[in-house]
Amino acid sequence: MGEVQKGLFSVIQKLKGSTEQELRIVLLGLDNAGKTTLLKKLASEDVNTITPTQGFNIKSVASNGMKLNVWDIGGQRKIRPFWKKYLENTDLLIYVIDSADKKRFEETGQELSELIEEENLKGVPVLIFANKQDLVSAAPASEIAEGLNLHTYRDREWQIQACSALSGEGVQDGMNWICNNIVNKKK
Amino acid sequence: MAEDSDWVVESIAEYLGSPAWVVPLTDFMENKCTVFDDEDENKLTYTEIHQQYKELVEKLLENYMQEVGINEEQLLEACTSPLAKSKALQNVFQPVLATEDFEVFKSLMVQKNVELQLQALRVIQERNGTLPECLTDGADMISELEQQELRILKEVLKRSKEEYEQDMARRQLSEDEGGSTSNSSTERMAFDSTERQDTVPGQASEKRAESTPSVCNASRMAEEKNIKSAGKAGDNMKHGTNKVGTQPTAKLLPGRSGADAKLLAPVRAPVRGSEPAADPREKSSTEAAEAWLEEARREAGISRPFTELSAAQQEQLQQRAHYLRQQRDRLLAMKREQRDKLSTSEESPVALAPRTVEISEEEKRQLQKRKHLAEKLKEEVIKKS
Repeated sequence: MGEVQKGLFSVIQKLKGSTEQELRIVLLGLDNAGKTTLLKKLASEDVNTITPTQGFNIKSVASNGMKLNVWDIGGQRKIRPFWKKYLENTDLLIYVIDSADKKRFEETGQELSELIEEENLKGVPVLIFANKQDLVSAAPASEIAEGLNLHTYRDREWQIQACSALSGEGVQDGMNWICNNIVNKKK
Repeated sequence: MAEDSDWVVESIAEYLGSPAWVVPLTDFMENKCTVFDDEDENKLTYTEIHQQYKELVEKLLENYMQEVGINEEQLLEACTSPLAKSKALQNVFQPVLATEDFEVFKSLMVQKNVELQLQALRVIQERNGTLPECLTDGADMISELEQQELRILKEVLKRSKEEYEQDMARRQLSEDEGGSTSNSSTERMAFDSTERQDTVPGQASEKRAESTPSVCNASRMAEEKNIKSAGKAGDNMKHGTNKVGTQPTAKLLPGRSGADAKLLAPVRAPVRGSEPAADPREKSSTEAAEAWLEEARREAGISRPFTELSAAQQEQLQQRAHYLRQQRDRLLAMKREQRDKLSTSEESPVALAPRTVEISEEEKRQLQKRKHLAEKLKEEVIKKS
């Protein structure tokens, strides 16, 4: 990207004329992990009529005086190659895992480690939601963290949060972490 | 300093109103807006088109800045000036904002899509000289019927989700039958046989959808036993399986057939539900079916979930949408032509339109329906935004 373009982008940013700060958040994870449910929960919308996402959803959520623009992109295998088109200028990655889908822990770990390598996500903080804790078969967040080798992440902030997007439990804790660690630092 | 930036802002604003900017941008939007609908979920192609849009705007702006001799700093300065933030200019700058704000971009494209649709309709109407009064009459009748259908549909879907479909179907039928017990028992038989053919009751959604033809058979069986009530059941099923009008008994109950057709809904309703309990293989094919329907529905250009319409309606809508699209394409070609001769031609699109069309009564009726469809589309889009 050339110099001129960069300038134009910042011009356009200013044209928006918004006084509040904005945060771009990308919500990723395997299909059926619960990304859209989480997104709708964040936006206080009905979570009972969600179908598999073929494209992407965007919601803007106000939090601590900041505007969080959350992009939820479909997680089906055939859509995953498109993920990288949505990573530019991302302030935070939220990665959602179905804690009860143990058969696919390896697959989800693989996708996450590939994402982490992306140039556009260099140094970008990661919040991992160990979702579906409402299911009895769900693995605890600590076990998932170990399986994902999160402790080896040195170049970025990370957090794993157990939650149930369906009930909303734990979701706010995750958002609080975002506010305390990302929002405040960006200000 | 202030004057300096004011000059820049004014100059840019002027440029954003000039043909050098408007023509390529409008061209782009008209060509790409077809896929944009008012759904909450965005298609992946939107992003691609947004990217192309960004590139176009950047190219245009860069060229202009070079031409006029404005540099980045001046532009930045100008854009933070009070003048640029004034209400009047914010509007002018919206297409520029759309490069950085996907939501703004999407709303511009959706709006353009609806505009084009309506223009196409107006051209059709003007060219063919359809009668306004008969248009309104037709629209009223249709919308009333459809509203009734929708109401019933919603009810049906709600209940089937609670897995009371059997119970619900019986109740609904007996309601329609006016409480006649002997009739409803025959109906029940028809539904029970549907159930049996389903191998495992309440199991797989698309399995149910597949079983629709056998439902038809079941109702025919029942027909032999009780001509009157089964005739009605057969009517229901025929609607569902797209054989409208072939059943003579359908005429016995005019005006009810639309509502009755909806009774098929419980059969296909679980397609949307896609129970989490279903095994993965089955689920993926359900997804595929859903995706296909979704696509077809978008083609038809209606905002109501496609699966909630009867097969006959679905086909009809697709036909209408197809015709509309043809008209739109023609309109687009015309518009382009017009822009090409921007300075010379003041002709209206109608004057440019080919006047070869001789329309029959049948076509007129079709036109009415199409107009109604677009009006609904417009209404829904405008209401939402």
